[in-house]
Amino acid sequence: MPVLEMKDICKSFFGTYANRDVCLEVREGEIHALLGENGAGKTTLMNILYGMYQKDAGSITIDGHEIVFKSPKDAIARHIGMVHQHFTLVPTLTVQQNITLGLRDSGYPFSRERARCEHIDRLSDSYGLKTHSRTLVKKLSVGEMQRVEILKLLYRKAKILILDEPTAVLTPQESDHLFAMFKQLKAEGCSIIVITHHIQEVLDHCDRVTVLRDGCSISTVETKGIDAKQLSTMMIGRELVPVARERQNHHMDAPVLELVDFGFKRNGGKVGSVNLSLKQSEILGIAGVDGNGQKELLETLMGLRHHEKGKVVCCQQDISNASTAERRLAGIGYISDDRHRDSLVLDMGIAENLLLRPAQSTTTTQGRMVNKQCMLEQATRVVKEFSIKSHGLQEPMRFLSGGNQQKLVLAREFIGSPKVIIAFQPTRGLDIGATEFVHNQLLAMRSAGCATLLVSTNLEEILLLSDRIAVIHEGSIMATIENKAVDITRIGLLMAGVKTEGAAR
Amino acid sequence: MEPIVVVTTFFAASIRMAIPLALAGLGESISEKSGLLNIGVEAIMLCGAFFSFMVVFSTGSFFLGILAGMLGGLSMSMLHAFLSIRFKANQTIVGLAQNFLALGLTSFLFLMSFGQTTTLPSTRVLGDLPIPLLSSIPFIGQVLFSQNLFVYLTLGCMVLAHICFYKTDFGVALHAVGEHPIAADTAGLQVHTIRYIAALFNGILGGLGGAYLTIVKLGFFQENITAGKGYIALVAVILGKRTPFGILGAALVIGGAEALQIRLQTAGTGIPSQLFAMFPYLMTIAALLLTIGSANDPAALGIPYDRDKR
Repeated sequence: MPVLEMKDICKSFFGTYANRDVCLEVREGEIHALLGENGAGKTTLMNILYGMYQKDAGSITIDGHEIVFKSPKDAIARHIGMVHQHFTLVPTLTVQQNITLGLRDSGYPFSRERARCEHIDRLSDSYGLKTHSRTLVKKLSVGEMQRVEILKLLYRKAKILILDEPTAVLTPQESDHLFAMFKQLKAEGCSIIVITHHIQEVLDHCDRVTVLRDGCSISTVETKGIDAKQLSTMMIGRELVPVARERQNHHMDAPVLELVDFGFKRNGGKVGSVNLSLKQSEILGIAGVDGNGQKELLETLMGLRHHEKGKVVCCQQDISNASTAERRLAGIGYISDDRHRDSLVLDMGIAENLLLRPAQSTTTTQGRMVNKQCMLEQATRVVKEFSIKSHGLQEPMRFLSGGNQQKLVLAREFIGSPKVIIAFQPTRGLDIGATEFVHNQLLAMRSAGCATLLVSTNLEEILLLSDRIAVIHEGSIMATIENKAVDITRIGLLMAGVKTEGAAR
Repeated sequence: MEPIVVVTTFFAASIRMAIPLALAGLGESISEKSGLLNIGVEAIMLCGAFFSFMVVFSTGSFFLGILAGMLGGLSMSMLHAFLSIRFKANQTIVGLAQNFLALGLTSFLFLMSFGQTTTLPSTRVLGDLPIPLLSSIPFIGQVLFSQNLFVYLTLGCMVLAHICFYKTDFGVALHAVGEHPIAADTAGLQVHTIRYIAALFNGILGGLGGAYLTIVKLGFFQENITAGKGYIALVAVILGKRTPFGILGAALVIGGAEALQIRLQTAGTGIPSQLFAMFPYLMTIAALLLTIGSANDPAALGIPYDRDKR
């Protein structure tokens, strides 16, 4: 008998379906993958199970009893636990306080700190989840926070553990370690649901997989006897065409972009420092776990934050103290990792968003006035070239899909053929079709002679596109290596901050 | 007067001035810790002051009067909580509107009850309650233990609140709800319930602070009797960094300034008394300047919690 059965679950937000007649069945003692693209409805389904959202229709059965959860409190009482992709820990509380938050024990209403810490230490020992129960959560690294989240579930004696994209913040080695721990839990009779969009992860570590696409459940299969190709077809509804990166002859002249002893302030007051140089027609990938100073580095490079020391040279021009507008005029295009916050004005239309560049570099302005005719012509051209789907040029960006929004960001940054493109997680949150599009565009720019600094936490993306790979850890570059026959294990170690033999550049 | 007597009465007066600020400030800090920013402390105090006075005036019972003061404060804080939680209204605007509402409402009801009078209707005030033995300690006994019930009550509340904030699960829950409501929700806490409970304490304590003004300090009510004390209490919350003893300290500093200016006004210096009346407010601004840059607001302060928000 399955421990958990979700039947014909429907849920819509503002009139659009997030889940439509979704079915999921989880057995006792299995690692069950929930596979699907971004926006396929995986997280919504699990939030319904966890009591965060109320379903519109359908039924949930646990151990043969039909249940209705009004809030996570009810789900916790039924021994269901969930680790959200964006961790739900209070940064100003200690590890122990976060783990025991909302629980009642024999000392209620007083906090029995010592007893709780001892309990947590016992748990962390027996599952190999190293932590310090009296430390404030804001002082932890992302990996440690995840361990705390998992301890939180174990402390609450969860029998069904839900993890949303748990490997997104881990190095390959840490991921293996995580799945080894899941096997231990599985042996103890727990069921584990892993939300993911990585097919290889499913094949390597999970027992069964349920594939979701566009809010519907496609099917549930055993991972034995299925291959990556079949799974990806189920996931995206068509066969995946791998993006091809052709060899490019690099011009050996001076670098287009050079960072010399470039120091930047990281969140929390630490200072990072890097040396990097990019040549024409080259993609330099920076691999690293999220939160190792990537955002601060790029924002400092764009002049959005004050830089500490060192210099930036773009095309023989020292732009160390230039304003952001001057940097862009020098030929740098910037694709931010958060397009809603940094790249677009969501309430403006396509045409207006295309104008968000230094005025001198556009042809759509005359003096200080906007030439409306020119602006609309430009927008029409871009929409056609980048096949952006919208209901007209004036439609607010808010109503476009993530893929179409990102296409517009790319289009805007590519106008006026920049010499350097800084692409920060350019495919974050995009579906596979849009990801392919972005990858092909970046490669097209490379063929056109543009130098690209690609920063991504997605190692597959880095390996696919980069000519050279630099690994960032704690705000400094661990090593830079040519992207041919790279050793993934070594990159993983570098991402974790371990320098191996022969790690010289 | 002998210098020691001057100092003793000054300190005793400072404490009495600080009580309403400390009580209302403590209430507001509980509310703010949970993420509810209620700038309507003035409204809470004004209602507390009015209703406690009315009940003492008509029944003569201080017990019922104190109860009425708490209920008056509660009515305002719960209205604020209801609008902010249930309807996700802008908390600052609601608080501001309530301040004017309470000002108009209490003045209107007061006029309705007594009409235009030349002499203010008054009641007897709650007397001092010296604690046996302790009150005979020199200096400290005079300053601390020869006070009225509200002084002891306030000190007790501070100690209880300190224990609650830092030693109990409720304190941790309160903190979590104000800092990261999603985390609190996923951990199984009822975010809205906890915020309503915080508003409850805010109303009770603020109402007591208001009641103190009418039935302990003055014995009468008049239009706008709080005269900005609610806003000063908000300052005490910030100065005291939302810790019970910090708020008590801040209230004592401001209360001391108030006691000092009253003494200076009557000292016959020839300086216009209005200048002295500005003194507590200048102190407040100066103290706020000193704390610039050390903001430690709860991360979700003033932000409604919406689970379905995507």
